[in-house]
Amino acid sequence: MDTLIQLSDVTKRYDNDARPAVGGIQLTVAAGEAIAVMGPSGSGKSTLLNLIAGLDRPSSGAVTVAGERVDRLSETAVARFRRAKIGIIFQFFNLLDDLTVVDNVMLPARLAGMARRRARARAAELLEALRIESQRDTYPARLSGGERQRVAIARALVNRPELLLADEPTGALDSATGEQIGRLLLELNRSGQSLVLVTHNPDLAARYTGRSVELVDGQVARDSGDGRARSTDLVAGAEPGLQVLP
Amino acid sequence: MRPGSVGRAVRGGIARRRVQVIVISLVLMVSTAASVLALALVVDSNGPFDKAFAAQHGADVTAAFNSVKTTDTQLSGTRKIAQVTAAAGPFPQVTTTLQIPIEVQGSGAADLTLPQLTIVGRASPGGPVDDVTLQEGHWPTGPGQIALNSNPQNDNLPPNLMLGQHVVATGIPGKPRLTIVGIANSVTNTADGWVVPAEISRLTASASPVGEQMLYRFASAGSAAAIRADVADVARALPAGALTAADSYLSTKAAEAVGIAPLTPFVIAFGIIGLVMSVMIVINVITGAVVAGYHRVGVLKSIGFTPGQVMAAYTAQVMIPAVAGCLGGLVVGNLLSGVLLERTANLYQVGGLGVPGWVNLAVPVAMLAVVGIAVLIPAARAGRMSAAQAITAGRAPRQGGGYAAHRILGRLGLPQPVTIGLAAPFARPARTFVTLVAVLLGAAAVTFAVGLGASLQRVVTGLNLSKTDQVQVSLPMPQGSGGPGGSGLPIRTDRPGPGPSGHFKLPKLPSAEAAQHAAIAAITRQPGTLHFVAEADEEVSMAGLSHQVQVTAYQGSADWLGYDMISGHWYNGSGQVDVPTYFLTATGKTVGDSVTFTYEGKQLTARIVGEVFDNVNNGMSMITGTQTLADGGLTEAQPNQYDIQVRPGASAAAYAQALQQDLGPLYGVNQTGGSGGLPLILSLLALLTLLLATIAGLGVLNTVALQTRERVHDLAVFKALGMTPRQTIAMVVCWVAGTGLIAGLVAVPVGIALQHLLVPVMGASAGTAIPAVILSVYGPADVAVLALAGAVIAVVGALAPAGWAAAARPGVALRTE
Repeated sequence: MDTLIQLSDVTKRYDNDARPAVGGIQLTVAAGEAIAVMGPSGSGKSTLLNLIAGLDRPSSGAVTVAGERVDRLSETAVARFRRAKIGIIFQFFNLLDDLTVVDNVMLPARLAGMARRRARARAAELLEALRIESQRDTYPARLSGGERQRVAIARALVNRPELLLADEPTGALDSATGEQIGRLLLELNRSGQSLVLVTHNPDLAARYTGRSVELVDGQVARDSGDGRARSTDLVAGAEPGLQVLP
Repeated sequence: MRPGSVGRAVRGGIARRRVQVIVISLVLMVSTAASVLALALVVDSNGPFDKAFAAQHGADVTAAFNSVKTTDTQLSGTRKIAQVTAAAGPFPQVTTTLQIPIEVQGSGAADLTLPQLTIVGRASPGGPVDDVTLQEGHWPTGPGQIALNSNPQNDNLPPNLMLGQHVVATGIPGKPRLTIVGIANSVTNTADGWVVPAEISRLTASASPVGEQMLYRFASAGSAAAIRADVADVARALPAGALTAADSYLSTKAAEAVGIAPLTPFVIAFGIIGLVMSVMIVINVITGAVVAGYHRVGVLKSIGFTPGQVMAAYTAQVMIPAVAGCLGGLVVGNLLSGVLLERTANLYQVGGLGVPGWVNLAVPVAMLAVVGIAVLIPAARAGRMSAAQAITAGRAPRQGGGYAAHRILGRLGLPQPVTIGLAAPFARPARTFVTLVAVLLGAAAVTFAVGLGASLQRVVTGLNLSKTDQVQVSLPMPQGSGGPGGSGLPIRTDRPGPGPSGHFKLPKLPSAEAAQHAAIAAITRQPGTLHFVAEADEEVSMAGLSHQVQVTAYQGSADWLGYDMISGHWYNGSGQVDVPTYFLTATGKTVGDSVTFTYEGKQLTARIVGEVFDNVNNGMSMITGTQTLADGGLTEAQPNQYDIQVRPGASAAAYAQALQQDLGPLYGVNQTGGSGGLPLILSLLALLTLLLATIAGLGVLNTVALQTRERVHDLAVFKALGMTPRQTIAMVVCWVAGTGLIAGLVAVPVGIALQHLLVPVMGASAGTAIPAVILSVYGPADVAVLALAGAVIAVVGALAPAGWAAAARPGVALRTE
């Protein structure tokens, strides 16, 4: 399998004198793989995610995603890289309150320069696939938590990214809704979407990913496997793959 | 909680909000400086005159009487008129012509003839009215001595007259010689010179009557109407025809204030605009800072701060930079005022000019009061909040707003960062309104300043006739002639000339007729000549005016000179004159009235057919054709210069040089132009406009910085979704660009209205009405460019925080959720 993410001896310090948020991380993720990054609060999970997404730069080491040295890209280049290659899902959804659902979903496509009509069609396709098309003209404040996270997932997928990063995607949801979102991510991965899921919930990691990496004090304490197994193989009774990824 | 905790909270707050601290300081500094400057100019525009007038017990009215028709006893009796509070006189007076003899090597003596002067016989400079200040030498104590008036508004005397010089009274048998023994100053210009009373009879031609002068102060003399009523009371108390002239101190005061008074209206306007803008921006800064600090308020309360301490902490966070800004503004305002007032500090020798102490006290107190009120309301509200309420208010994400704006703008097909940016102001309508007003005022100031600058340029062009009257030729005047036309040769009385023995070498001068013929021939020979006209300048006297009026008479068609007409029309026949506004004001005449004037003993009546924009002789002048003078029998008036317009494309400088070579050194050939004090006014205008635009820009910077701080999380999300730095800058700039554009569009008519309002007021301060051509300065292209001023201010003000927003890494903001 092709390597999608390669982290080589990556260290990130926010304060020169302090303990690094992550230190000496070595990690390889293959394309199509679904991995869970686990660990207690303050273990460096979100920092690792930010480094992979290019939202932060490492203090040392190399971060390569989809063949690009993300840590060496300029701010403009990393922004372009991010919108083309990476979709991000946040714990608190981070939808823009003053845009409708469809406008939120269209936003990354419009930032990438996609024509409004094409972006709208792609957003409609995703909203339908995620079963929230009826809410397309609603503002986020009127949606339930599960609906908001579905919108956020649609937004993350709109540019057909090679990699989906999910930072505690069920952390702000009740367990039933969290289960739905988990299954949705599972289906996405089954249809070929690479996924890095940050969570401190071992059950979620076990059910919906094929590999888990545990961080403790900013270092990899455990890596469960080689990542070749897809998460769908692990879950009994999984739904057929979503038809949102061509 | 100890008091030191409040201090630490204040220090912490200031350190956390450096942008707001800097904006508050700068805005207060700029607006304080503008207000100090405005008030200082208002107070001091008449300061030198008022100080001198008070110190010298200046005369409200200087009255001249015909001694044939009244007696000294009757004149002394006018002191008892109810309205008269003080009087001096009667003093004998005479109007005479003085010449300064100049020793000329090889050509005998040459005389510089001064305009007709009013000489008054006074035993001493002091008295209850017009307590003259003696600046050099001593007061005349015997025959053959004269003290001359050095008042800066007295242009009858040349500068640099020196003690010990001799002057000769011409036209009087024996040509009595006087020695200058004193240089004095009468604030109300009651005379050009003073001699002992007995000397007046020696200076009076045998057939001429001796006049008498009385100086009055009245109980009510604040306006021209009050003065006219006072003078009428005096006239009624005397035989008919006894009062021959009466000059009000108001005309001298107006002439003295002409240099600075016209500046005052626009400086006041700029001061008011600056003040309103400051209030708007300070309110925006403070409310934004306090609201943004609610979370911190909650934290402070949860650790034991009382409501009073919270209020004190927030008030101090604002008042400390505000006080610093005010102090800086005071220094800047005093420095600027000093530069301007130094130019107007004149020679009255009654003390210098400076910013009055009360201005230095009142301005910062007023500014800080405004800031204090602005900060107390939100600070009190923050103080009253419960800790939990404040923490919640500070943390809760702002609910979205401006949905409709997003929908509508989204359909325009603009790039997404632009539509998101343009829709943002609708989410914060109150803040947007305050920002809009600040930018509007800044842009209106720019529009006004551009218009005012153009108007002032046209004023200078109009007064100099520099579009048409590009080259002037002064004729050499024969020996013995003088006055305003006698300036053909550069005669100096104050220092030796370049000759080997320290004397001027004057070649033999041609006759007046020969000089005219030579000039006309030379001008006609020049291929670059388009138009030319001969000009004769003479001084005449008018009944009721103690000072001379200048008559400019053109020989032939002169309408091409293009004087700006205020009303009426350019003279087109004999017996018609055009006059400036100040002439009409001073004489109480209107267009259509007749005026009678006297020259060399001959009287002539002419009809005023037009009000013209002109300031020759401080506006006491008449313009007519030489035919008017000739038909009245005033054949003595001879052309003293030629006014020339060169052909389009020809160089006026090259033309003047060629003509000078042709005519030789006896003729003065000059290129006209020159802007007088315009550079100073334009510099002041540019400075004040820059200050106001800076305030507006700082207001924008503050708004955007505040918004960037509030939306730091949204910005991070945008970046996480792939927004590039350039797109981020575009979006942030668009937060205020639309507001700026609208403000700019509204500001153009506001600025034009301000220009149309204030330019006539400035003209009135200088004693003239303003022709329409000076007001109508905005062309369509100007309006189009000026309409963008608001957008430019907004974009420039937003660029720095937009850059900060673009450079900020999103990881930190996202990590804090």
